[in-house]
Amino acid sequence: MKALMSVGALVGAVLLLLLVGMILDVVPSNSVRLVEGYMPIQMLFEVACFVIGFTGLSYMLSSMGMAMPRFWQGIGFWAFVLLYLKFRVYPPIPFSVRAMYGTVSLVAVFMWVSASEEDWKKFKQPIMNVLDAQSGANKMLRYAYLVLIPILIGWTSFNSMKPKSEEPIELRTVHPAPPASTKVHGKTYTLQTSQNPYRVNPEGKFDQEYSNKLIVEQGMGRLMAPNANPWDEKNQGYLKYVKEGGEIFFQNCHFCHGDNLNGRGLHAFAFNPIPANFTDPGTIAQLQETFIFWRVAKGGIGLPNEGFPWASVMPPWEQHLTVDEIWKVILFEYWHTGYYPRTWD
Amino acid sequence: MMNTSMGRKAGVVLASAFGLALFSASSLVLTASAEEVPQGFKKGELAPEPSADMIEAGKRVYFTKCVWCHGVDGAGDGPGADRLWPRPRNFNQGTFKIRHTASGELPLFDAKKPIPGQNDLYETVTHGLPGSAMPSWEGILTEEQRLQVLAFVTTQLVKDRKFTDKQSETQTILQLADLKPKEATDESRKRGSELIVEKKCVECHGMEGRGDGNAFNLKDDWGFSIQPANWHKCWNFRGSRQDPYNVKNIFRTFSTGVNGTPMPSFADSTSIDDRWDIANFVNSLCERDPEGNPLPIDPLTDKPKINFVIPSNAVEGEIPADIENEAWQKTQKRYVAMGGQITHKPRNFVNRIDDIWVRSLYNEKSIVYLLEWDDRTKSVAEGKLPWAPTEVNVDVKEQEPKTGEEGSIAAHQNNYTVYNDAIAMETPVKWQDLPAPIKPRYLFGSNEQFPVDIVKWEADGSIRAFKGTGWDKDFEERDSYEENLKVLKSEWKNGRWYVMIQRPLGNKKDQDYDEDTLFEMGKYIPTVFFAWDGHNGDAGRKMAVSAFYYTFMQPPTPREVYIYPFVIAGGIVLLEAWVLTRRANKRKGKTL
Repeated sequence: MKALMSVGALVGAVLLLLLVGMILDVVPSNSVRLVEGYMPIQMLFEVACFVIGFTGLSYMLSSMGMAMPRFWQGIGFWAFVLLYLKFRVYPPIPFSVRAMYGTVSLVAVFMWVSASEEDWKKFKQPIMNVLDAQSGANKMLRYAYLVLIPILIGWTSFNSMKPKSEEPIELRTVHPAPPASTKVHGKTYTLQTSQNPYRVNPEGKFDQEYSNKLIVEQGMGRLMAPNANPWDEKNQGYLKYVKEGGEIFFQNCHFCHGDNLNGRGLHAFAFNPIPANFTDPGTIAQLQETFIFWRVAKGGIGLPNEGFPWASVMPPWEQHLTVDEIWKVILFEYWHTGYYPRTWD
Repeated sequence: MMNTSMGRKAGVVLASAFGLALFSASSLVLTASAEEVPQGFKKGELAPEPSADMIEAGKRVYFTKCVWCHGVDGAGDGPGADRLWPRPRNFNQGTFKIRHTASGELPLFDAKKPIPGQNDLYETVTHGLPGSAMPSWEGILTEEQRLQVLAFVTTQLVKDRKFTDKQSETQTILQLADLKPKEATDESRKRGSELIVEKKCVECHGMEGRGDGNAFNLKDDWGFSIQPANWHKCWNFRGSRQDPYNVKNIFRTFSTGVNGTPMPSFADSTSIDDRWDIANFVNSLCERDPEGNPLPIDPLTDKPKINFVIPSNAVEGEIPADIENEAWQKTQKRYVAMGGQITHKPRNFVNRIDDIWVRSLYNEKSIVYLLEWDDRTKSVAEGKLPWAPTEVNVDVKEQEPKTGEEGSIAAHQNNYTVYNDAIAMETPVKWQDLPAPIKPRYLFGSNEQFPVDIVKWEADGSIRAFKGTGWDKDFEERDSYEENLKVLKSEWKNGRWYVMIQRPLGNKKDQDYDEDTLFEMGKYIPTVFFAWDGHNGDAGRKMAVSAFYYTFMQPPTPREVYIYPFVIAGGIVLLEAWVLTRRANKRKGKTL
């Protein structure tokens, strides 16, 4: 038991030091990497490690006769939650959400310290001590609180009342509902039934199974599968069109969507909303190929009302590309990110 | 004067790049330089050849990620190349810009040692080349994949030179890790400011270092136009290594020169101490906040972080036209990022204006915007423009996708017909009527129902007011409005435009609510900026655009703000007294 707990304590101490180091910027905050796509699981795992660590720490301290008072345990745990949310969770979450989590965890801490009458007494003892001011130190503390609390609250209310200029928050629907059909270059395409005419095997037949085998591999780097080089001149069918799509992409799209299709192109920094990141599992991987066809052809200007990022600079590509070119570029985007388009069934 | 300096530079490049070929002719010079290593440099060993496995693995990386711009043979002629300026690197000659090695030498590359400061090519791939289309590959490719692809590039695509050939190649390495930067004191910076004149840096980089000197005659080794760096935008330095305010980057570039460009190495002619002074001065020019601290850089874009609210401060009486005036100095300056207009034809793939600094003041009648932006050239069209000012669909061609080097966008630079430099502000008309998150269409308004109000200034001195009703609709002139517009200042100085435009706030009584934006205090007024660089052939929709920003006219602080906090604090004191008394009574009750 003791051995187990001391391991726990060690874990706790190391993790706490790491976190403090990251908060104070002594340890680079990316020294424990957050892996794209596994972030929530990783966070849960980390928090579990912390809980184990805290249990170990508190056991070791009390067995060494330096038990932490319940009062400080409660406050310490709450402070940990707040700091973890602020400094570790990435991408950063807004203050309003953090405040919500903070309140929930405060309630949880209260429930924990007031689970039994005994505990509750222990918890509120330090507060009562200060209020009663029986010792000199407590007297000092009481006067300090008496002066500091009104000043602090007065200052906070002054700051919150001061007129501020913060950017208004804008919400938008990222994937608006598509129309039933879309008309591009004079031809109508029904989204439910249209197919990418270039997703074909060497015999020229539509073959998603064939093309799925040739996309780039998932995992770091997302490299092309061995023996599936679109630049091979002998290619027929799918891979040949992937290369043609890539040429179009790097003549038109990379300026915003980036060389790695991650939305970090040359001009991307200037625009808001920022260009879509196709490597994110939440974009093209969630959508049907014909949905992409509609969005590419019509651009920001063709968004329905609920999609209203009227500020989008996404071009209506029907002004620049032919229908064939649009299909090829979509083919390339799925190939390069290593995703399959979703099907309608 | 200029010719001799150009000749000297060309000489340095030639002598170093083709050093061996010229061996017999200039053996004296060469032996001298072989023994005498420039200050701060040391002779180094060539790295061993990467393994065949690594090269093969690197080929896979190259044909997934790099080939699209750099091309099948690494000649910098991939499908994306013709619409890019600077063009993607042509690897064949082995000419690389950012190095720790002496001028003309190959960069450091060792496929087994991804150590910062000892592996130039690895760092270039890791951090990208800001200001060009080369992104940072960190977090996308693993460390190993980055080394693999470089193993492939250095052995298979660099064709004219060989990284392992002891006969022809040397490595003279800048010992940057061992050199301690000189403290950036006022004295050091002052000495640096004198040295940049003495060393003729200002001839190309301009009197204020905005890259505006001699900007038109500079060519790289491949004959394409090249711009001297703008020292005020350190985040665009190719060698900034995602650490733009680090003085060591400048020291390195100054010591090693930039291969393939007119930027020579100053290592032979400048002592280490002098080089630090220059680096300190150049570094001090990069934009900083009012307290003199580096601007926060967004790690995702490697550009300054953006705040979309442009605060406008209230002033009593006339709004001063003098930038040095206290009212302007006290107003926050906002960085407005500019991208190319790439939504509608003609798309602007290379926008030479990539940011504007905006400040604003208002009084009871008008609002004034002070717009400052770097533009290496003052451009005013010769003669009359072939279209009316209201015309939007003007005859300007966009770059074709595939032209080959001769027809590429890089070849066209500095050869465009010159139009007017110009700047415009667009605000939606009737924005108060729009549902909260809706803004009019980005480019020149949506339609007759949701039009925009555009105020455009051009370098020929004109200021005009238009109504925009769609991206492809010609503007309607708002004649009566123009009498109310005023250009308080317009000046081009040392590579920077300073333009101050005053416009009425409007009111609900006598203004034309259907055509003019009403500026209301304490409200967020969507504002877009457009900029045209005349020497880039910008006209009509070929321009640079910003995202939607918000003009916010700061209301004066109401009196309550100063009163209520005291009331609240007083209340807390009372509450404390109550708690204490209660506790005391309770204890008394207990002890009794």
